[in-house]
Amino acid sequence: MVGLGIVFWVFMFAVSSRVLGYFQSVEVIGDLLAHHLLSMVLLIFFSLLVFSHIITALSNLYLSTDLELCHSSPADLDELFLSRFIYTIADSSWMVIIFGLPVMMAYAYVYRPGPGYYVALFHLGFALIVVAAGIGVLFTMLLVNIFPAQRTRDIIMLLSIFLIVALYLMFRFLRPERLVDPDAFFSAMQYISALKAPDTPYLPSHWVTETLWKYLRGLKGEGTLLNVMLVWSSAVAIMVVNMWTARAIYFAGFSKSQEARKRRGGRKLLDALTTLAKKPLGDDLASIIDKEIRAFFRDNTQWSQLLLLGALVVVYLYNFSVLPLDKSPIRLEFLQNEIAFLNMGLAGFVLSAVSVRFIYPAVSSEGKAFWILRSSPLSAKRFLWGKYALYMPPMLLLSGVLIIATNRLLQVTPLMMLVCSATMFMAVFGIVAMGIGFGALYPNFGYQNIAQVSTSFGGLMYMIFTAIFLAIIIGLEAGPVYVIFMAQAKGSSIALWKWFLIIPSFIGVVIVNCVAVYKPMKIGTEAIEEYE
Amino acid sequence: MIELLNLTKRYRDFTAVDHISLEVPQGALFGFLGPNGAGKTTTLKMMAGVLKPTSGRIIINGMDLSRQPSEVKRCIGFIPDRPFLYEKLSGNEFLQFIAGLYRMNHAPYLGKRIVELLEIFELSHWADELIESYSHGMKQRLVMCAALLHKPKVLIVDEPMVGLDPKAARLVKDIFKDQAENGTTVFMSTHSLEVAQEVCQEIAIIQAGRVIASGTPDNLREKAGVATGNLEKVFLKLTEGKTGIDEKSLSSS
Repeated sequence: MVGLGIVFWVFMFAVSSRVLGYFQSVEVIGDLLAHHLLSMVLLIFFSLLVFSHIITALSNLYLSTDLELCHSSPADLDELFLSRFIYTIADSSWMVIIFGLPVMMAYAYVYRPGPGYYVALFHLGFALIVVAAGIGVLFTMLLVNIFPAQRTRDIIMLLSIFLIVALYLMFRFLRPERLVDPDAFFSAMQYISALKAPDTPYLPSHWVTETLWKYLRGLKGEGTLLNVMLVWSSAVAIMVVNMWTARAIYFAGFSKSQEARKRRGGRKLLDALTTLAKKPLGDDLASIIDKEIRAFFRDNTQWSQLLLLGALVVVYLYNFSVLPLDKSPIRLEFLQNEIAFLNMGLAGFVLSAVSVRFIYPAVSSEGKAFWILRSSPLSAKRFLWGKYALYMPPMLLLSGVLIIATNRLLQVTPLMMLVCSATMFMAVFGIVAMGIGFGALYPNFGYQNIAQVSTSFGGLMYMIFTAIFLAIIIGLEAGPVYVIFMAQAKGSSIALWKWFLIIPSFIGVVIVNCVAVYKPMKIGTEAIEEYE
Repeated sequence: MIELLNLTKRYRDFTAVDHISLEVPQGALFGFLGPNGAGKTTTLKMMAGVLKPTSGRIIINGMDLSRQPSEVKRCIGFIPDRPFLYEKLSGNEFLQFIAGLYRMNHAPYLGKRIVELLEIFELSHWADELIESYSHGMKQRLVMCAALLHKPKVLIVDEPMVGLDPKAARLVKDIFKDQAENGTTVFMSTHSLEVAQEVCQEIAIIQAGRVIASGTPDNLREKAGVATGNLEKVFLKLTEGKTGIDEKSLSSS
């Protein structure tokens, strides 16, 4: 891990130095770009620090298991809060410092500032961290005082998911690829304004940017005093405000965080959903599905990821809508259908990525309550097929959206639409079965966080095998589809001998799909039966 | 009726349960005693179908667990020592879920049975709250509701009193006695000698994976050569104060 960290660090330094070196060589706008980049980097680090402190403070000040012992000890509340505050700073900042340092050192390497830059970087960096920590901890204390800590965790988690989705969508819809296409802009000024980062003189990151920039430009800190004083006075002030607030509300919030979580609404909606989902199944499978749906939608860490999935689908479709097909030298009709065919591989990859996150952990998600199923009359086989029945409809829906919508955007021929839709429809059966099967083969019922299950060795094996599965299917279909498409494009008929190639290929695809469903489910069933 | 025939469980070099043979008649309240690490929980887990035996057979109600697992499990109720449950379900939903596993969702008496059990175990007020807000004792009582829901012919219970307050412990003892009187075989492991003495008609003592003595409390006193007094003396005499872990293997490692 240390080796990997060093490699990453050196890589960051090298890339940053290269970019800054290039900026410096560009006349007029080079320095402007470097200044904006510094402002943007510091603003991002500052935002990350605030956010990281909110999450860590919730755990360190309210949810840690050792807090009961701390609060029952004769330690003074001020001391306790301060020690936890410092611990939170250390806990939240190290990663941002490690990631930030190579960028700041790259600035020093390119601009060769005097020692004042390093001194300013050290003390202003520290003050910036204190300000971020103060904001984060203060926000957490207020939030916990309004909601119980358990609920606050959910709220923060939801906010973070919304933030990621919004940033992801915003970044994509800004169309950064236009920046490498100067034809898209009418003038240099328009280009420069497109590069401008959001900035405000009231943010501590702005004060630090301006001070460091002056040192970098060799101005030896002239005119920096106001900014330095602003940063440090903010740091001290926010510490004082935090201490006052902690005296007033910290213990009350901690006490509140010990309260049990009450059940929330939405029961009728869940009842309707589960009734619909379990209708065609037997009592035991219906129970599994009912339980699974309720547990999924009551766990905010689970259902909220659907938002990320939604954003992924939107961006996926958007990418197809902005493909510059008209600029390609290849004939439009060929290109559209070629992309549609290759899109099966991409859609298959997206489906397996979604599957590794939601379906592969489905068996492990039983957790330590797995004994209930083991001691019940439900067989391992029915248990796994129950999970399979639950995940098939949403995955079929997703594959339909990915394939049919993109093919419509690409305006492919009806033949290609049929081939792609039918192939992906069949492949979903295999992808889901492999997810359940591999999940049963490598179960982890003692997980701390269900997300870790997806990133385990078994998850990796699943991804490798689904990639092989998709490659075989697409490989088998490539030749026959090409022959049929070309015959259609030319308006000619297909030679009889070619059908001897085409028919076995499509039969092969069906057989591969059947094997991909049967074999993993069988291996998974045996693994669960033997599991101890 | 329960029959264990040469039941063995090995984990690589370690033998947790070593050729246990026992016979428990129908309607008996059978106590399975032993020091920590003696192999009680492993035996019970094998009987409940949670663990697979290395060798030997488990016959319950005349059916072999390895050959007819679903049929055997249908007539068993299992109460483990630690109540790990689905935290995101309410108590009521959990019992409905269990009913589904036993395919009794459409049984006309189900709703009444759930209400009755929740009342007996004093969980009615919490029935619609999520299990994650339950205390350990409440979860343990909910597991008991689930185990009794399908009116099992055999109850397999691992350390039932852990985490229960005195009132709940009294209730549980009475329920087990009542179940046995109505023909249910109760196979209960415990390290509490008071509990065993108070409720069990027959007792087996397991040590280092082997049954070292079994019979009624009077039989055991006789075997231990202890004429009078409580079970503690008998237990200490029979186990000679040893733990269940093989001390030789510990010292050699």
